[in-house]
Amino acid sequence: MDVISNLLKIISDFVAELIRSIFGFSPFLAELITMGLAAVVLATFAALSFMGLTYVERKVVARIQDRIGPNQAGPFGLLQPIADGIKMFTKEDTTPAAADRWVYNLAPLVIAVFALTTYAVLPFAPGVVGTNLNVGVFFILAIGSGSIIAILMAGWGSNNKYALLGAFRTVAQLVGYEVPMLLNLLPVVMLTGSMSLIDIVNHQTTLDGNPGIPHIIYLPLSALVFLISGVAETGRSPFDLLEAESEIVAGFHTEYSGMKFALFFLGEYVNALAVSFVFATLFLGGYAGPILPPYIWLLLKAALVFFVLMWLRGTLPRVRIDQMHNLNWKFLVPMSIVNLVLVMLALKLFPASAAAQAASGGVLVSPGAQAVILMLINLAVLLVSLSLVGRAARRLRMQEEALLAQRRAANMAMARA
Amino acid sequence: MGITVQQVIFVCLAAIVLGAALFVVTTRNLFRGALMLALAFLGVAGFYVLLDLGLFAVAQVMIYIGAISILIIFSVMLTCGMQAMIPRNAQAGGVAILAALLFVLLALVFGPVRLTLDLTGVPLLSTLFRTETPRVVGDVPWRYNTQAVAETYISDFGRALVDINQFLLPFLLIAFLVDVVLAGAILIARQRKPAEVLAEQQEIAAEEAAEAAALRTAEGAPAMPSTAAATVADH
Repeated sequence: MDVISNLLKIISDFVAELIRSIFGFSPFLAELITMGLAAVVLATFAALSFMGLTYVERKVVARIQDRIGPNQAGPFGLLQPIADGIKMFTKEDTTPAAADRWVYNLAPLVIAVFALTTYAVLPFAPGVVGTNLNVGVFFILAIGSGSIIAILMAGWGSNNKYALLGAFRTVAQLVGYEVPMLLNLLPVVMLTGSMSLIDIVNHQTTLDGNPGIPHIIYLPLSALVFLISGVAETGRSPFDLLEAESEIVAGFHTEYSGMKFALFFLGEYVNALAVSFVFATLFLGGYAGPILPPYIWLLLKAALVFFVLMWLRGTLPRVRIDQMHNLNWKFLVPMSIVNLVLVMLALKLFPASAAAQAASGGVLVSPGAQAVILMLINLAVLLVSLSLVGRAARRLRMQEEALLAQRRAANMAMARA
Repeated sequence: MGITVQQVIFVCLAAIVLGAALFVVTTRNLFRGALMLALAFLGVAGFYVLLDLGLFAVAQVMIYIGAISILIIFSVMLTCGMQAMIPRNAQAGGVAILAALLFVLLALVFGPVRLTLDLTGVPLLSTLFRTETPRVVGDVPWRYNTQAVAETYISDFGRALVDINQFLLPFLLIAFLVDVVLAGAILIARQRKPAEVLAEQQEIAAEEAAEAAALRTAEGAPAMPSTAAATVADH
């Protein structure tokens, strides 16, 4: 049992020992090589999961839309990703005549690199993490903002007006949705008292390693808004305005074909999977779970979140650009700020640890009681904001109806006269 | 040997930063220049990593690459005729001299050759740098030793920002400035009602008409009905 649950750690220790003893490298060099190998494994994992996820997503969305999905290549269409891969490799690689060659060719690479970098800080099991950065949460956000540059490069480098329009939309969307994402990561960081993802997982685990209270119970509203902004950050439906095919052809990757297009696709899927992993780590307790080994738990939780993403994609229509910005700036951001301030106050007034109480006073409560208090605050903020929006919408509708009735009455009067 | 891994990484990073910066100031293609500027920012983030300051490295990426580079790229994209035009820089010589002077100053302040300057007699500076011993510019306690960064540097940094004896005032000023800028952006970009726009246009037209009339009376010409103002008001 122990061997299975610590499998990843044992393998990595074994490889490190192997390199050190057989090749006789110095400890530093051995560590460098082990880290390099781990990076290769992580990147391969992400790239392979991209292949698998394209198949799964097509199947799931097909089921949601009452279709069968890929079913020709291999049993149940299982070889479809390989067929797609062969197609991508053998397609002609075109470059527009007026493209800025360097920028155009670098953009897919940069986007894939930024997408893969997120995996460096994800803890897959106790002790199995690329690097335990003490600013892990912040790092993920920063990497997300870096991929904006890659999309801008693609949009500008293609020298195509649709690509440029897509790039403009990207900046508006990605920069905009970074704000609610940040505002809803902050409550988690304040609750944990650390930006390290490992500390965040530990906070959702009891001291003897059993799963504790996941943060989604503490902060349901933050989890919801984080998920929404995560979908927007990855540019997936219903927020796929950057590549809205009914409006701007294919947005920023209009001009790309073959393997470069595949790299953009990889970037999208790897980013979406990273958001699923981050959500699972921040709000669903990460690798903590009973019986099954930790990495299986993390994969299961991430798969659940990714299923929700696919579900959204299969169900919701694309929003208009003004609706997208209204949702962000007039609803999510103000709500998140109010929530943040209230959570901050609650954490000061009702600390769950003696150290926090010593620092700022307040009433010492158990973690369970703290969870209930925070959950009530979150739900109250959500209900109040929804009712405010509902009331505003009703007022608008009444005005419009009154106007319509007025016009109808005037028409009737004209017809009678 | 004598060469540590840190030194090798430092030299590589410095080469990247300097190469990118050189490209930025020499290229005629402003978009590529902006991208290279982002690369230079990334290299500076690498220096922070080398100094064990993860927070500042990540903040550097987030602010300089995620925000400032994108702002620059956007202004390049939205500038009219940016693709057709080959921009020329008429101030290259002056800027080069200024940069060289700045470099010399920094080298004197932080470098091995120390510039010592007694400030006791200088009217404004001596009150600014009020200390028991005469304050000397150029003798900054610049830590380039191998002393490790404290584990708690993030919380220390945070406390320093809200400590009244340290950086509370600048922190509040910057927060105030950001608030004002946000409010201003909302004010400029807000959706205005058609009636409001019309009223504003009429106001401007009326002002223009009044100005024109004043000008004409000053010139001694007979006042005429202003047709220009009327056309503006019609819009």
